[in-house]
Amino acid sequence: MSDKIDLSIDFCGKKFKNPFLLSSSPVSNSAEMVAQSFEAGWAGVVFKTLNSDRIPIIHPSPRMHCINYGNKREIAVQNVEMISDRPLKHNLMDFLYLKKKYPDNILIASIMGFSVEEWSYLAKAAEDNGADMLELNFSCPHISVEGAGYKVGQAFHLIEQFTAAVKKSVTIPVIAKMTPNITDMNEPALFAKNGGADAISAINTVRGISGVGLDDWVPKPNVFGKSAISGTSGPAVKPIGLNFIATMAQCQELGLPLSGIGGIETWIDALEFIVLGSSTIQVTTGIMHYGYGIVEDMIEGLSDCMAERGIKRVSDLVGKAVPNLYETNQFDFARQGITQYDTDLCIGCGQCYTVCNDAAGQALEWDSANRLPRLNEDKCLSCMLCQFICPVPGLITYKEMPAEWQRQETAVMDKNLEKDLNYQPFIMDAPAA
Amino acid sequence: MSNIDNFKQMKKGIDLAQAMAEADRCLLCHDAPCSQNCPADTEPGVFIRKLRFKNITGAIRTIKQNNILGGACGVLCPTARLCEKACSARFKSSARPEGADRPIQIGKIQRFLIEHSWERDFKVFEKAEPRSEKVAIVGSGPAGLSCAAELAKDGYQATIFEAHPEPGGVLRYGVVSFRFDLNFLEKELADVKALGVQFKCNTPINGPEGAEKLLEEGYNAVFLAPGLWDAFSLKSENKNIDGLFSSVEYLEALRNGRLLEMENKVCGKTVAVIGGGSVAMDCIESAAELGAQDVYLIYRRSYLQMPAETEELNSAMQAGVHFMLLNQPVDYITDDADRIKGLQIMRTRLGEADDSGRRKPEIIPDSQWTLDADVVIEAIGNKAPDDSTQWWPHVKVDAKKLIKADPLTGLTSVQGIFAGGDIIRGPALVVNAVQDGKIAAKAIKAYLGKQEE
Repeated sequence: MSDKIDLSIDFCGKKFKNPFLLSSSPVSNSAEMVAQSFEAGWAGVVFKTLNSDRIPIIHPSPRMHCINYGNKREIAVQNVEMISDRPLKHNLMDFLYLKKKYPDNILIASIMGFSVEEWSYLAKAAEDNGADMLELNFSCPHISVEGAGYKVGQAFHLIEQFTAAVKKSVTIPVIAKMTPNITDMNEPALFAKNGGADAISAINTVRGISGVGLDDWVPKPNVFGKSAISGTSGPAVKPIGLNFIATMAQCQELGLPLSGIGGIETWIDALEFIVLGSSTIQVTTGIMHYGYGIVEDMIEGLSDCMAERGIKRVSDLVGKAVPNLYETNQFDFARQGITQYDTDLCIGCGQCYTVCNDAAGQALEWDSANRLPRLNEDKCLSCMLCQFICPVPGLITYKEMPAEWQRQETAVMDKNLEKDLNYQPFIMDAPAA
Repeated sequence: MSNIDNFKQMKKGIDLAQAMAEADRCLLCHDAPCSQNCPADTEPGVFIRKLRFKNITGAIRTIKQNNILGGACGVLCPTARLCEKACSARFKSSARPEGADRPIQIGKIQRFLIEHSWERDFKVFEKAEPRSEKVAIVGSGPAGLSCAAELAKDGYQATIFEAHPEPGGVLRYGVVSFRFDLNFLEKELADVKALGVQFKCNTPINGPEGAEKLLEEGYNAVFLAPGLWDAFSLKSENKNIDGLFSSVEYLEALRNGRLLEMENKVCGKTVAVIGGGSVAMDCIESAAELGAQDVYLIYRRSYLQMPAETEELNSAMQAGVHFMLLNQPVDYITDDADRIKGLQIMRTRLGEADDSGRRKPEIIPDSQWTLDADVVIEAIGNKAPDDSTQWWPHVKVDAKKLIKADPLTGLTSVQGIFAGGDIIRGPALVVNAVQDGKIAAKAIKAYLGKQEE
C-alpha cells in the first residue's frame, strides 16, 4: 500500500482521515463498539440515533431477517430495529469518552425528535457533549408516528421546519438523512437545504419484505405471529442508493456535499458512491456481515487504486462519473456492436445458448457434437446476457461493428406459423406525430 | 469396542444445506453432459436443476422415477468416471486442459435426496391400477429389482425369486457395510416393496429347466438376473483349504450373520488378498477394519493397471494395506490339517499390452518367494455356476456361460425370456444392472402387449 496516498477528505468543514464511516445503526450502538471500529481504521461514526428518554424504546424480538441468494448469505437484511434504547445520559457519556480518547475521529450524532422542541433539545445535548456534527434522522422506517421517522421524510415541510429548528440551536454542521421510500429525493433534499442543512446523507433502509413463513403465512421477521414492512439494506439495495446519490449530485440547485449509504462492502462499492457524488460513505450491513475489519480492505484497496492511477486526493474523485450520466434518448444510436466468442476457452456448459434462445436474439446455434455455441453475428442483440452467465471470464466480449453493419431484424413470425393464421391483426391508425 | 461397531457404519451423507450449496455451483448446462453420462438415465442434470430451484420433492421424483435404486447408485457409483467425469464445472477446455477439476458432487446430492425422501416420508409413486399379467424375475439384485419395480409401477404382477434368505443380491451379500449398510438397503428395498413387488426368498431357480418352467407355471414372461455367484480360483483342487476363501464367500459371510466369526478369523492375523479390482479393495479394507495385523494385496500387474476406483485404492492405502504389486501367486502352502500357512509367489514384470489394453505380467524366472498368511482371499473374478446352463437349457450362452441377450431389449434366444445384469455381460456396475432392468421391463411390457392382441 502506498504511503503517499492521502485518503483524508473535507466534509462540511471537518477533516476525515478517510471517507469511511459507520452509519447510525446497531454497529454504532455504544462507545465500546465505536472504539473498536476506530481502532480498525474507520474515520468516523454516525452514532445510533439518540432518544430523549421521553418515551421508552423497546425493540421487537426477533428484530431482523435476511435474504440469502444461492451460496451467498445476507445479500439483504430486513430489520425492525428502533432508535437507541439506551438512556440519553449514557449515550452522551459515550460521546465524551470517544472524543477524549479519539479526538481525530469524527463523531456525528444522529438525532430524531417528535416535536420542534425535542429536535432542538437533542441537537443541543449532542453538541454540548462533543458531537462534531449532527445527522437528522428523517427516515427511520420503523417509527410509525405521523410527524416522525420516515413519515417526516415524506412530509417535506416538516423536514424544513425541523432542520431550521436544529440549525438555530447549534453551530456544528447538520446533515439531513433521507428516506429512499419516495420517488424523487431531490425535492425533500431541497427542503432540507432551505432549512439550513449543510449536507445530505442517503439512503436509509428501503421498505421491504424479505420473506414469508410458509408454515404460518407470517411474513418475516416473525415477531410472535406479527410482521411489518420494514427497512431493508445490504448489497441488494446498492443500485437504489447509487440512483439517489447520483440524482442529487446532478442537481445544481442542491449543491450540498453528500454522504453515500447503501450496500457498501468493498473499496469498489465505496469508490462507486464517491465518483457518483459522495464525499463520505457510511456502512452498516457490511459490518453486520463481516465485522469492522472490512475497512482495512477499503483503505488499502482505494489507496492502491489511486496510486496506480496517479490520483492524489479523494476529493479529486468525488462526482467524477456524474457528467457521464445522460437520459437514454441522448445515446449515440448509430454505433452498434455484438458479442464475440473465444470458443477455445469454452467449457461447453451451454448456458449462453439457453439464455439467448429463451430471453434474447436467438442468435446462437448449439453444436451438440462439440458442445459449443455458434454465433450468428447478424442476430446478436448485444444484450450481453450470455456474458453475464458465462462461467469463463474473457470468453464472451463486446465488439463494436462497422457503421455499415446492419443487425438482422428481430424475429419475424415463422412462415410456417403464418400460413395457419386466418386473421389479420387489428391495427388502429397511429396517432399523428 | 469391537471393530464390528465401526464396521457397520457407512460414512454419513451430506445434508440439505450442503446439497443446496453444491446445486448452486451447478452450471445448469444445456443438454446436460452429466445426464448423458449416466448409464441408467437417472438425469442428474434435471434433478440438480430441480434442487437448485428448491423443488426438492420434484428432484426426488426425477431420481426415483428414473432409477428405483437411486440411493444405492448415489452411494456406490464410481461417479468420477460417469456423471461427474462429464461435469462442465470441471472447467476443462482446449484452452485450459488442466481444468479446475471440481465437478459437482452428483453422487452425494443423489444420495442426499433419496435419504431426504425417507426422512420426510415423501412417496413418489401411487399404487398403479393392477393388471393381470404376471412376470417372474430370477434374482433380487439391482437388475431384478429395477425390472420388477418398472413393471410394478404400471401394475404388472412382478414376483422375484431369490436363492438367498434375504433380497438385495450383490447389494446385500457382495459389498461391505462401511460402503453400503443394510439399513440403507432395507429402506431402498421398502420403496420397491411398496410398489407391490412380491419376493420369494430361499427359492433358488436351479433345477433342470427351472427358469424355463416358470413360463409353464403361469408367468407370462421371465427376466433372468441371477448375477454371478461362483468365483474363479487359482487352484480349483485346493478348494477345501481351511482359511482360503473366495471373495464371494468372504464378503457374504460378513453380511449373513457370520461377521463375528470372520472377525475372530482375521483379527490380529495376517491376511493376503489376491486381485486388483473393487471387490479386492472391499476385501482388504474390511480385513484391515476387522483388526488384521497385516493385510497384503497381491496383484500381478502394477498400480496403474488395477481396475479398482482411485478412491477405493486411496482408502485401502490409508487403511495400512501393503500393496505387493508385480507379484503372481502360484501355489498355496498348507499344513497337515489342510490349514493355509502361506503363498508361493513369483515376481513379475510388465510386458506388452494384452486384449484389455493393459500391459501383461510376465513371470520373472527364479524369483519365487514365500509369504506367510493365516487367511487368504481370492478376489480374481466371479463367474456363472458351471451347471447354470441346465437351468435355462434353451437360452443361448457364450463360452463363459454368460447369457446372450439383445442389448436393446434384453430378449434372449427364447421367446418370453429376457435377461440382464452380470449374467449377460460379466461383472459390471450396479447402475448398469439398473439400466438392464429398465430396458427389459420396457421390452417385456411391449411383448405382453403384443401377446394380448
